[in-house]
Amino acid sequence: MNSMKTLLAGGAAVIALAFGGAARAQDFPSQPVEMTILFGSTAQTIGQLLAELMSEHLDERVVPVSRPGGGGSVGYQHVQSAPADGHNIVWNSNSISTTYYSGATSFDYTAFEPIARISTEVAAVAVNANSGWETLGDMAEAIREQGRPLRVGASGRGSFTHLATEAMLESIGLDDQAIHVPFDEGRAPVELLAGRIDAAVQWPGQFISHHNAGKLRILCITGTERVEQLPDVPTCNESGAEGFEMTMWRGLAAPAGTPEHAIETLEEAARLAVEDPRFQEAAKTIGFVPDFAPRDEFGEQIAADDERLAELMTRLGLSER
Amino acid sequence: MDLLLSAASASFTPVTVAAILLGSIFGVIFGSIPGLTFTVAMALAVPLTFSLDQGAAIGLMLGTYIGGMTGGSVSSILLGVPGTPSAAATVLDGYPLAKKGQASLALGMAVAASAFGGIISLIVMVVSVDLVASLAMNFGPAETFALLIFGLSTICGLSEGSLVRGFIAGILGLMVMTVGVDAMDGVRRMTFGTVTLQQGINLLVAMLALFAVPHIIDAFVRHFQEERTTKQVKAVGVELPRLRDLGRNFWLMVRCSLMGTGIGAIPGTGGPVAAFLAYAHARKTSKNPQEFGKGSVEGVVAPESANNAVTGGAMIPLLSLGIPGDPGTALLLSALLIHGLVPGPMLFIESPDAIYGIYIAIILAYLFVFAFQVAGIRFFVQLLKVPPHVLAVAIVIMCGFGAYSVRNSVFDIYTVAILGAGAYGLMRVRIPLTPIILGVVLGPAIERDFRTAMILSDGDLSVFFSSAPAILFMGLTILIVGTQVGRSLISSFSPKTPGIGRNAPVSSEK
Repeated sequence: MNSMKTLLAGGAAVIALAFGGAARAQDFPSQPVEMTILFGSTAQTIGQLLAELMSEHLDERVVPVSRPGGGGSVGYQHVQSAPADGHNIVWNSNSISTTYYSGATSFDYTAFEPIARISTEVAAVAVNANSGWETLGDMAEAIREQGRPLRVGASGRGSFTHLATEAMLESIGLDDQAIHVPFDEGRAPVELLAGRIDAAVQWPGQFISHHNAGKLRILCITGTERVEQLPDVPTCNESGAEGFEMTMWRGLAAPAGTPEHAIETLEEAARLAVEDPRFQEAAKTIGFVPDFAPRDEFGEQIAADDERLAELMTRLGLSER
Repeated sequence: MDLLLSAASASFTPVTVAAILLGSIFGVIFGSIPGLTFTVAMALAVPLTFSLDQGAAIGLMLGTYIGGMTGGSVSSILLGVPGTPSAAATVLDGYPLAKKGQASLALGMAVAASAFGGIISLIVMVVSVDLVASLAMNFGPAETFALLIFGLSTICGLSEGSLVRGFIAGILGLMVMTVGVDAMDGVRRMTFGTVTLQQGINLLVAMLALFAVPHIIDAFVRHFQEERTTKQVKAVGVELPRLRDLGRNFWLMVRCSLMGTGIGAIPGTGGPVAAFLAYAHARKTSKNPQEFGKGSVEGVVAPESANNAVTGGAMIPLLSLGIPGDPGTALLLSALLIHGLVPGPMLFIESPDAIYGIYIAIILAYLFVFAFQVAGIRFFVQLLKVPPHVLAVAIVIMCGFGAYSVRNSVFDIYTVAILGAGAYGLMRVRIPLTPIILGVVLGPAIERDFRTAMILSDGDLSVFFSSAPAILFMGLTILIVGTQVGRSLISSFSPKTPGIGRNAPVSSEK
């Protein structure tokens, strides 16, 4: 169906070109831009909205195309091998580093040209409200006293929430006293509510309603600053995990070698889309922070994060590089 | 009651009703084309909701979900290829019914059972959302594993006579689904170092391969063997089910609907599991079990009422806990979020009007889907006039397109071709295909829940016998497998007497 859309849009473009006469001086985009989306659920919805809003500022549509699988590697591989003319872009994230170091892809972030950072997200650490734990410090102390392992639910091994979990446990000194229980999307809160696990690290959206209802308690969020939706919840750094911080960014990238003017055009469209009130509104309800950064700054962040994740994954024995 | 009225007046705006209608039709069309499922339809509908207001947006998504779930039966019955994975069990008896010339009866019963199942699940949801949610919460990995293993034990009943062949088929199905990246430890299995194989085998792709490709090959083989018969032409009468037919299956529909609601409420199970369990249940409780697989109306009614009841069941953890049970509800969740509704316990307190709006949208969606599909029956059955080899060409195209649309990956088209050719080979050596499908449907969930349970219990197997639901399902499984294996052994060691064990459920898909 997406290909159908592409086809229709492509057909329309041909007709427009035939009747419209001269092509513009800046001949990008000359056909619909295909935005590869790597994950489902909210990541997909944000990507779809971004594509919709970017289309309003470009001569051609931006078409979101879902290519899930392999923790992102399938979509990265597709875009990496696509023509580098700006018509193929990827809705990327820190997963570019994790897929490379886990050995799923053979290329790293340098295979892509950054376009712009769009948003950031932080994970939340939650426990059952009955546990009586108010801070990470309480949790660490109780577990050490009881001399039993801490069962922590997060997404599968090597995922962002898993890495955040391991780094957080390390900083509160529980890394050798914890069991990682991998869950696919959405199941960790149930297990936490039912008392089968002690803590869970997931996106805050999964916990907020339970937190407000008093069933679960969000101990902290993994970023450097508190988030708007949870003004009373401290950062993990404040909650006992000193020096710990993990932030997930999402942005756009094109295959290396994409012409500069195409990147600039896309960067500008992305900036306007992020500033759009509809994007800001969606951010509040879905639970992410619109956080535009131009390509230079975005590139620096990708490189810095790559180094950090490489070091973390090596230390945790998750790296195959 | 005031809330219901105010929600009703809010829901009956022309835009909302139009959105529900549009969604329902969109869903039915996607559901009834093999390969295009409600998940794809819902992913496409999400951007359409961006410009709509809350009520209309939710109406569009719910209409698509419900329409897609119901529409799956159309191609199951007419083409023998399930429109969605949830409708796979419907093929087993729906397609033979169509071959007997009772396609319109099967289609009518399917849509009636679907609407019935959906409404029952809605009633359960309205009456006891908190109770069901807390019961479902007791279904941890160990209990879910027990339930799924129980589902797998129905292979015994679906092996078409030979238990050994059934087991071979079931294990092949389980094995196919291990290809790709393991979701828990990120281990790459049977990927031969390629990125492409990391995608693994998608459930829908496997379904197309198993149901559609053998049919297509078969149609061509028959065509070129000059078996061109004209028997189909007279079969295109329109005979709608009467109330009497529905009345006769009333209690079966109630039981299967409740079953579907319960299974839908347990995250990580979903429509295909519910449909197969309901089918096995119908067969077990039927007065005419020998009719199953040859065109039994009960064999259509049971899975169709169960898979639609899953829609209501899956809404329970979605709305009350914020937990999506399947990819369809995951998309529904993000559509709710983008329109400012955060599912979870606070939703019932903060925006009860939205909840009532959802209930009303579900009822309206069922009305529309029912009307649309009943009106469509006389057009749908015209398909049967098309010669099989011509139809086969159309199915090839739909399968290719459908397989590609799941993940926009050419790999999936190759997979359909390769697995499908393999399936045809298996069919020729009389390995039944239905147990393969059961293995494919249940495999990933069985593995996931087994491993999670083992991690939680620190490797202690007794967790599978430490709670009431787990003991119940494990016990039933042992009972079923034990008696079937016992019977099969007795009949192979005793002089052949008709009517026992291996001779009993002989049926053929061809």
